[in-house]
Amino acid sequence: MNYPTDLRYTKSHEWLKEEDGVAVIGITEYAQDALGDLVFINLPEVGDEVCAGESFGDVESVKAVSELISPVSGVICAVNEELIDAPELLNTDPYGAWIIKVESVADREELMDAAAYEAHCAEEG
Amino acid sequence: MSQLKRTQLYDLHVAAGGSMVDFGGWEMPVQYPTGIVAEHLYTRHFCSLFDVSHMGRLLVSGPQRVEFLQHVLSSNVLALELNEAQYCIIPNETGGAVDDAYLYRFEADRYLLVVNAANTEKDLVHLRRELAHYDCTLTDISKEWAAIAVQGPKSKELLTQMAGGVQLTELVKNALNTVELEGRLARIAKTGYTGEPLGYEVYVRSEDAAWLWNRLIALGAKPAGLGARDTLRLEAALPLYGHEMGTDPSGAEIPIFAVPLAKFAVSFSPLKGDFIGKAALEKQYAAYCRIREHDFSDLTDLPKRIMPIALLDRGVMRAGMPVYQGETQVGWVTSGTMVPYYVAEGERLATHYTDETAKRSIGLAYLYSPIQREDHVEIDVRGRRLKAVIPHYHMRVDAPPFARPIIYQAPEQPVPAAEENRRVSALELLKNATQNHIWRQKQCINLIPSENSASRAVQLLCASDPAFRYAEHKKITSFYNQEIFYYQGTKFIEQVESLLVEQMKQYLGASEVETRVISGQMSNMAVFSSLMDWKNRLRRKNTPERLGYILHNNILKGGHLSAQPMGALHDYVAVDPITERSAVVSFPVCADNPYKIDVEATKEVISRYRPEFIIFGKSMVLHKEPVAAIRQFVDEQKIPTTIMYDMAHVLGLVGDYFQKPFEEGAEIVTGSTHKTFFGPQRGVIGVNYKEDELKYGLWKTIESRAFPGSVSNHHLGTQLGLLMAAYEMNTFKDSYQKAVIENAKHFARCLKAEGLDVAGDPAIDYTETHQVIVRVGYGLGYEVAERLEQNNIIVNYQATPEEEAFTASGALRMGVSEMTRFGFTKDDFAALAAIMADCILRKQDVREDVLRLRQAHTVMQYCFDDAEMEEALAAFLGTIGL
Repeated sequence: MNYPTDLRYTKSHEWLKEEDGVAVIGITEYAQDALGDLVFINLPEVGDEVCAGESFGDVESVKAVSELISPVSGVICAVNEELIDAPELLNTDPYGAWIIKVESVADREELMDAAAYEAHCAEEG
Repeated sequence: MSQLKRTQLYDLHVAAGGSMVDFGGWEMPVQYPTGIVAEHLYTRHFCSLFDVSHMGRLLVSGPQRVEFLQHVLSSNVLALELNEAQYCIIPNETGGAVDDAYLYRFEADRYLLVVNAANTEKDLVHLRRELAHYDCTLTDISKEWAAIAVQGPKSKELLTQMAGGVQLTELVKNALNTVELEGRLARIAKTGYTGEPLGYEVYVRSEDAAWLWNRLIALGAKPAGLGARDTLRLEAALPLYGHEMGTDPSGAEIPIFAVPLAKFAVSFSPLKGDFIGKAALEKQYAAYCRIREHDFSDLTDLPKRIMPIALLDRGVMRAGMPVYQGETQVGWVTSGTMVPYYVAEGERLATHYTDETAKRSIGLAYLYSPIQREDHVEIDVRGRRLKAVIPHYHMRVDAPPFARPIIYQAPEQPVPAAEENRRVSALELLKNATQNHIWRQKQCINLIPSENSASRAVQLLCASDPAFRYAEHKKITSFYNQEIFYYQGTKFIEQVESLLVEQMKQYLGASEVETRVISGQMSNMAVFSSLMDWKNRLRRKNTPERLGYILHNNILKGGHLSAQPMGALHDYVAVDPITERSAVVSFPVCADNPYKIDVEATKEVISRYRPEFIIFGKSMVLHKEPVAAIRQFVDEQKIPTTIMYDMAHVLGLVGDYFQKPFEEGAEIVTGSTHKTFFGPQRGVIGVNYKEDELKYGLWKTIESRAFPGSVSNHHLGTQLGLLMAAYEMNTFKDSYQKAVIENAKHFARCLKAEGLDVAGDPAIDYTETHQVIVRVGYGLGYEVAERLEQNNIIVNYQATPEEEAFTASGALRMGVSEMTRFGFTKDDFAALAAIMADCILRKQDVREDVLRLRQAHTVMQYCFDDAEMEEALAAFLGTIGL
């Protein structure tokens, strides 16, 4: 399992990378492995507001649905529309396949670094 | 997870990286590292293995095993022959399902009942309570025997390879067999839970389970988990207990007849007597019938039904989501997810699956009974209303070897017809017809064994004046049985018909002949109708009884449509009250030669079923039919029956070089006049009954079932042509028939020498008829036949007795009669064999070679071609179209 050190992580298995005031958000390798084959994604739209700790969409595997929780509050400035037709990119390239970009970032959830997140995953089993 | 049960294959699942979950108290793989989507697709495209050893395997034996099973199951256990299985439901008293199950009869005196893993304990309690009243035993053999489902288009090939080439089971669904797989005992069932048309469930002793699993993986199969098993069964719309059976989301019991499969699983045969839930099921069935008739006045016993459902909007439906029509909730989704499929390209038989995959959101739903296919509904997906439709089906399995996804398409709207210049169309028709005639008569090598070309005289006669006339006639006893015609202007055709009857009597060696039937299939239907009428002749005040048992050649073993319940027998064959299926039984074939009837096994079948009607003849025909041996047997055994030989394919071979049907003991011969015979497309019926015999009455019935039973107008143009053909055949048959059979044998030998896989017995040069069968590889028949057609060689792709359906055909069926008529010699067939090998094996373009060979032979042989005939023909041609 891969835990890139340039990212920060949530307990609900999203990753976050902040560049020039824009937060890039995706789901972790651990998350995609636990969910299994992803077959569908519900995405928000550019301009929508997101709140830290609240759902901004969901991903569905063959077996179940899982909510996507935003680590930050702000306004969505980009959505990875490639995922609509190819949600499996989240399985094959979880750290390349970002889901949304958020600007005007205000609140942040409690975030972990790679080592802390790895420990969190180990705890979950 | 320590208290969970483990199957014989547990260690292999863990070693393969399976994600193990609790499934009904068993620790089972939900998926392997490749994932559910890949596992689903691999099953549809190649072959997957599923560990189904968690399911309960219960052996039922003892003197009252049948009575017990009839009482606790929904199905008719007596309908199960040895080596057959049936889907069934274990009903409760209120018509709900305790469980659904499969009943297998691998052994004559024991039944194997396989039930759902999660229900096994509950089932055992239920069954043991009933067992107390019966003298039989129920033994759980789940520990001694393991079960592996081998599913997908390659499953047959892999298992057949392990069985050393032995045919695994009969080709039909639910067939069973006990075989050795590389020396180890295996019980094989052509059953499964994936919807695959090729799929098996294999039972082996526990100690052989890991070995079989690993061997199949070494041969290319891959393991698949419960996740893929669920998406596959959902795509096949197969019910799952706990979703489509049991209780609905409101807690109410789902009636058994809500499940479409119930109509197969439930029997009300009097042989079952009273059984658990019967009264409730009868009410449900009555409601089911009303609903099918669109009478929705009383839905009490069947308020909802399980139906397929497909999402039109983007999203995923899940079990438990409410379904709405307008503001009214009409039911729930019972199973739903996103299912992957391979994208298809091309049309009809050229359809093939690309590497590209896609996904669709489909499910099953428990819906208000009046809802129909193509109805639009909405699904509440977590607060959002998504549009959905009730499709006819999610997948079809009638074109093996693939299960074919049916992606929902809205019904097409009719397009208004465009303005058309019909004069231009008419001109084009003439040009195209001219081109087609030249192509077929001068450029193609036609090897379709059910076709022939007629001489010029026959062709022209068919197109002349009588083609547009009527000549109905009937024998009237008041006039000493003279033929009375209903129309004027018929003296010429009357003479033609009586001459034709005489020529056909001579040819067949028949005492009586009927020539008014206009096709081979019509000939058979007229005979079937006559036999039924004859059978009921002393019971005119009752509804006539149908025929049964009938012994015939099964279509899967080369039999023709015109002797199948789904073909010409449809309205004449009875239903056996025990099996609840058509009362036909098929000729057994030799284990080492599926093209040949096994005479000794046939005698056993005749002794058991005492068929009232025996139909010889088939369309994939390499051998003489054993008419004499069977005639002798039924006479010795004093079995009252009627023996008919449908000689459709071999009518032109009647005689010394093939068979003389009446001399061998047939009573009735039917045929079509355009296959090996020289005529246009018509039928003929001949009998050998004499006027002083009781069965002469059957002949009189045949006449009346021909006219007015089958035809009013009996197509006088082709009748005229047929008389000329009969003159030709009776004159030239000796040389023609000898040449046909010699050519067929030589062609077969040459094809074999060229490296092709020729079917049949090499000891008789593969064939005793005009036909030669070449195997080109499972499922490749159409592709090769299409390539040959592009090279002007016309053959017939066919399924061999080892193949399930024409879509899986791996053989070319060829006949030499037409080319023999155009003068092909043995040398020409040797040259043709070499050309075909180039085209089939080396995919070479052989068009030039074909044209060269064909154009050396464009003059029709075995017909009258002297100067006087030519002159008369020219004069006749000048009159046509005047």
